[in-house]
Amino acid sequence: MANPFRKYIVNKLVWYVIAFFVAITLNFFLPRLIPGNPVDVLVSQFLRSGGTGAGANKIYQAFIAQFGLEKPILVQFGTYVLNIFRGNLGQSFSLYPARVTTLIGQALPWTLALQLPAIIIGWILGNMLGALAAYKRGVFDRTLFVSSLAMSSIPYYAFAIILLYLFAVVIPIFPAGGGYSFGVTPSLSLHFIGDALTHYTLPFLSLILIAIGGQAVGMRSMAIYELGSDYVNYSTGLGVREERILAFVFRNAMLPQVSGLALSLGTLVGGALITEIVFSYPGIGTLLFNAITANDYPLIQGVTLLIIVGVLLANFLVDIAYGYIDPRIRTARMGER
Amino acid sequence: MSELLSAKGLVAYYRRLDGGWVRAVDGITLSLREGEVLGIAGESGCGKSTLASVLSLTAHEPLSVRSGSLTIDGHELDVADLPSIAAELRGTLVSLLPQGAMNSLNPTQRIGDFAFDVLSSHLAEITREEATARMRTRLDQLGLPPRVLTAYPHQLSGGMKQRVVAVISTLLNPRVLIADEPTSALDVSSQRALLALLERLLRERIIGSIVFVTHELPVLRNIAHRVMVMYAGQLAEVGPTEQLIFEPSHPYTKALMNATIVIESASRRERIPDFEGSPPDLAFPPPGCRFAPRCPMVHAHCTQEVPPEVTTEAGHQAACWWVADQMRAKDTVAK
Amino acid sequence: MARRNRFFQLASRSSRFKGSAILVLVVVLFALVGPIISGQDPQKVVAGPNQPPSKSLVLGTDNFGRNELVLLMYGTRNSLEIGVIAGLIAIVIGVIIGTSAGYYGGILGELFMGFTNIVITIPAIVILILLSIALGSRSTVTMGLIIGVTSWPWTARAIAAQTASLRTREHIDIARLSGARDVPIILREVLPYVLSYVGMAFSLQLATAVLTEAGLSLLGLGPSNAISLGVLLQWALLWEAVRQGVWWTFVPPAILLAAVSFGLLLMNSSLDEIYNPRLQARRQAA
Repeated sequence: MANPFRKYIVNKLVWYVIAFFVAITLNFFLPRLIPGNPVDVLVSQFLRSGGTGAGANKIYQAFIAQFGLEKPILVQFGTYVLNIFRGNLGQSFSLYPARVTTLIGQALPWTLALQLPAIIIGWILGNMLGALAAYKRGVFDRTLFVSSLAMSSIPYYAFAIILLYLFAVVIPIFPAGGGYSFGVTPSLSLHFIGDALTHYTLPFLSLILIAIGGQAVGMRSMAIYELGSDYVNYSTGLGVREERILAFVFRNAMLPQVSGLALSLGTLVGGALITEIVFSYPGIGTLLFNAITANDYPLIQGVTLLIIVGVLLANFLVDIAYGYIDPRIRTARMGER
Repeated sequence: MSELLSAKGLVAYYRRLDGGWVRAVDGITLSLREGEVLGIAGESGCGKSTLASVLSLTAHEPLSVRSGSLTIDGHELDVADLPSIAAELRGTLVSLLPQGAMNSLNPTQRIGDFAFDVLSSHLAEITREEATARMRTRLDQLGLPPRVLTAYPHQLSGGMKQRVVAVISTLLNPRVLIADEPTSALDVSSQRALLALLERLLRERIIGSIVFVTHELPVLRNIAHRVMVMYAGQLAEVGPTEQLIFEPSHPYTKALMNATIVIESASRRERIPDFEGSPPDLAFPPPGCRFAPRCPMVHAHCTQEVPPEVTTEAGHQAACWWVADQMRAKDTVAK
Repeated sequence: MARRNRFFQLASRSSRFKGSAILVLVVVLFALVGPIISGQDPQKVVAGPNQPPSKSLVLGTDNFGRNELVLLMYGTRNSLEIGVIAGLIAIVIGVIIGTSAGYYGGILGELFMGFTNIVITIPAIVILILLSIALGSRSTVTMGLIIGVTSWPWTARAIAAQTASLRTREHIDIARLSGARDVPIILREVLPYVLSYVGMAFSLQLATAVLTEAGLSLLGLGPSNAISLGVLLQWALLWEAVRQGVWWTFVPPAILLAAVSFGLLLMNSSLDEIYNPRLQARRQAA
C-alpha cells in the first residue's frame, strides 16, 4: 500500500479509537446520572417490574462485589473498562444468573443473519436502481423517484407494522412473529431452517425494501450530478463508447454513496433493531427491548456497548473500502517535470 | 484549397431557470478552408465558447441549438439534434479542445486508460501498445513525460492537465479541431510548445484545420490566418489577421485592438478613445446593433435596425452601419 | 431582496414543492387545529374498547375505548412539537459549530470538525437510550432536547462546508480588512448566504427527529406523560392490536409518520432542485 493510503487508515483508526473511548465513557457515566444510590434505585425498579426479594438481594450483592460500588467512581470506571477487555459484561438482573455475554451471544446470530444481507443487498440493489433511473429518465425515473422517496421516508418499523398486518393477519401467508415456530427446537435441520425462513421473510422484506428506497434516492441524485459533468461531455464529444462512460459515471457516483453508507450505519442499525421488536424476532433488538422494560441495567449497557462496537467497526471497514476505491486517497501528487 | 467547414446562421440559446432565453449565439455564419486557422476573438460573454461547443457538437443542456446548418468535410450535421449524429464522427471529424482542463478529465481514471478508451472506441483493433506509443509521441512533443500515462488527473498540475487534454483532443487526428482557450492556463514556453504542435499537425496534414477561440489577441497573431471578432453573440468583423489588427473597420474591433495590442506607431491610423460599459444582457438584447449603447460612432439608425454584413475594400466583413455608410459613400455595393 | 423573489418565482413553478408544502400544511393544521375544534379530552373513554370506525367515531376506539381520532390529533401535535424543538436545537448548535469550523479553518476548524465527527460516529440511538433511561421520566421538551443534542452533527457538517467555500469570497475579506470582529462578520456576511441551507437542514432535522422519537417510543423510552405518534404505535404493539387486526389503532399513526417524513423530504428535495442549477436544467429538458 502506498503511503498516503496508510496515512489515511492510521488517521481514521485514531479517530475511531477516540470515539470508542468517548462512547464507553458515556456508556458508563450516563446511567449513573440517576440521582441517589444507583443500585438501590435499580434494585427497587427491578422489584417493581416483578423481581423477587431473594433475587434482588443476590443481585445487590453481586453488583456491589463486581463493580466495587464503595470505591471512588474513577476506580469503578477503571474496573468497568478492564472488564470489557476481559470480555466480562456482568450478569443480567432479570435473567439472573445468566451472563450478559451469553445472552448477547444467543441473540446476535439472529440479528446478523437479518441485518447483514438486508443492508448489503439493499444497498447494492438501491444504487443500481437509482443509477438506472438517472440514466433512463422520463417516466421510469419519475415513478422510481417518488416511490423510493416514499419508501425512504417511512421508518423501518412503521413499514414493518404494515407488512405484518397485511401479510400475517389480513392474508395470513407468513407467521406473525418470533424467529421460529413454538415447539420447534433450533437445530441445523432443513425443517428448522425452512421454518425459520418463513419467520425471517417479513422482517427481511421490511428492512430491504426501505434500504433500497433510501439508496435509490441518493444514488439517483449523485448519478444525475455526474451525468452532467464536464468529463462526461468531453468523453461524449470524443466519441467514447457509451458503456464506458456509463461505467465511470456509476463508479464516480458510488463514491459518495459509500461514504454515505458509513454515516447512515448508525441509523440503519438502530431502525433495524426496533424492527425486530415489531416481529418479536429473537435478536439483539428484542433483547434490548426486554432489558429496557425490565430495567435490567447490565444487559442494557452490554447491548449498547455491542451496538457501539459494531457500528464503529462497520464504519471503519467502510472507510477502508472507500480509501481503496477512491484513487485520490490512494495516490500522492506527482511532481512537475 | 477546399472548404472544410461551413456554418450558416447558427443560433443557440441558453434556457434560463425562469423559462427565458439567453441569446448566446444569434446568427453566426462562418467558413473554414483546409489548412486554415480561424481565430475567434472577443471579450468574456460574447458567445465564443458557446460557438465552440456548437461547432464541436458538444452543446448540452441548458444550451439549446435553435437553428442553423453545419457541414464539415462534406458531412451535413444536424446541430439541432445532436443525438442523431453518428458517434464515429465525434472526435474524428471534429474535436473539441476544451477550456478548463481541470474538470474535463475523469478524476478516477488514469490518463493512459482514458486515452485508450478514446482510441479503441474508434479503432476497434488497436492494441494497448500501439495506443501507448501514439500517446507517448504526442506527449513528448509537449514536454510531458511518459509517466503521465499512469497518473490520475489530481496528480498533475493545471498546466500539465491542459497539455494532456490538448494531446487527447488531437489523438484521433480530427479534420477540424475546435480549440477553446487552449493557452490561457499555460506559461509562455508551454504556450509556444502547444502552438508549435498545432502548427506541425496542420502542416503534416494530420489535422485539417483549426478554429482557435481566445481572448488573447497576441496569440492569434502568431497562429491565425483569419480572425473573427464576436460581440454579444453576433459577428462584428472578420478578416485576415494582420489587416484586422492594423486596419480594423468595425468600431468595436478598433476599440478592442486599441485596448489590447500596442500597435506600432508607424501603422497607427485612427485613435479611438477608451470605451466603457459592458456587453448587453443577452436575455434581453437591445434592438438594432448590440454594440450601439457603447459605440462612439453610433447614430440613430444603429439602434433601430440590425446592421448588415458589408465587405470592406480590405476584404473583411463587418456588421456595422457606420462601415456600411462609408462603403456607400465610396460607391461600393454593400453585400 | 431579489433573491427571495427569485426563490418564490422558482418555487411556484415546481409542482413538487407545491404538493409537498400542501401535505405538510395539512398535517400541521390537523395537529394544531384539530384538538381545538374537537375540544375533547383524548383520555376520555367514549365507547367500548376496540370499536371499529363508524359514522360517529371516524377512527374507532383504542384498547381503552378512547376516541382514536382525537388521540391521533394530539399524537401528531406532540410529535411535531418534539420535532420542532429538536430541530431548533440541532440547527442552533449545528450552525454555531458549523460556521465556526468553516470560518476559522486551520487547527480550530479541524478541532471543531473532529469533535463533530466523533459525535457523528457514536451511534445516536445508544446515547438516546442511555439518556432516556437516566432521565427516568421524560416530557416532550426533554425528548426534543435530547434528540436535538444528538442530531446536530449533520447540520454542522453541511454548514461548515458551505461556510468554508464562502470564506474565500471577497466580501468577507473586505469586512475583515475594515476591522470588524469575527462574530459580527459571521452574522452579517456569512449567515445570509447560508440561510437557504439552514432552512433545508431544519426541515430534514424535523423529519428525522419525529422518526427518532417514534423509534424511542417503540422501545418504551418515549415521552412519559404525553401521547405521540410513536406512543400510539407502541400501545398498538403492547396490546397486540396488530395480531388482533385492530388496524385503526396503528395504520393511521404509521401513515401520519410517513406523511410528515415524506412531505418534509419531498419539500427538501424540491428546494434542492431550486437551488442546484444542474438538477433544475435536467428537469426542464426532460
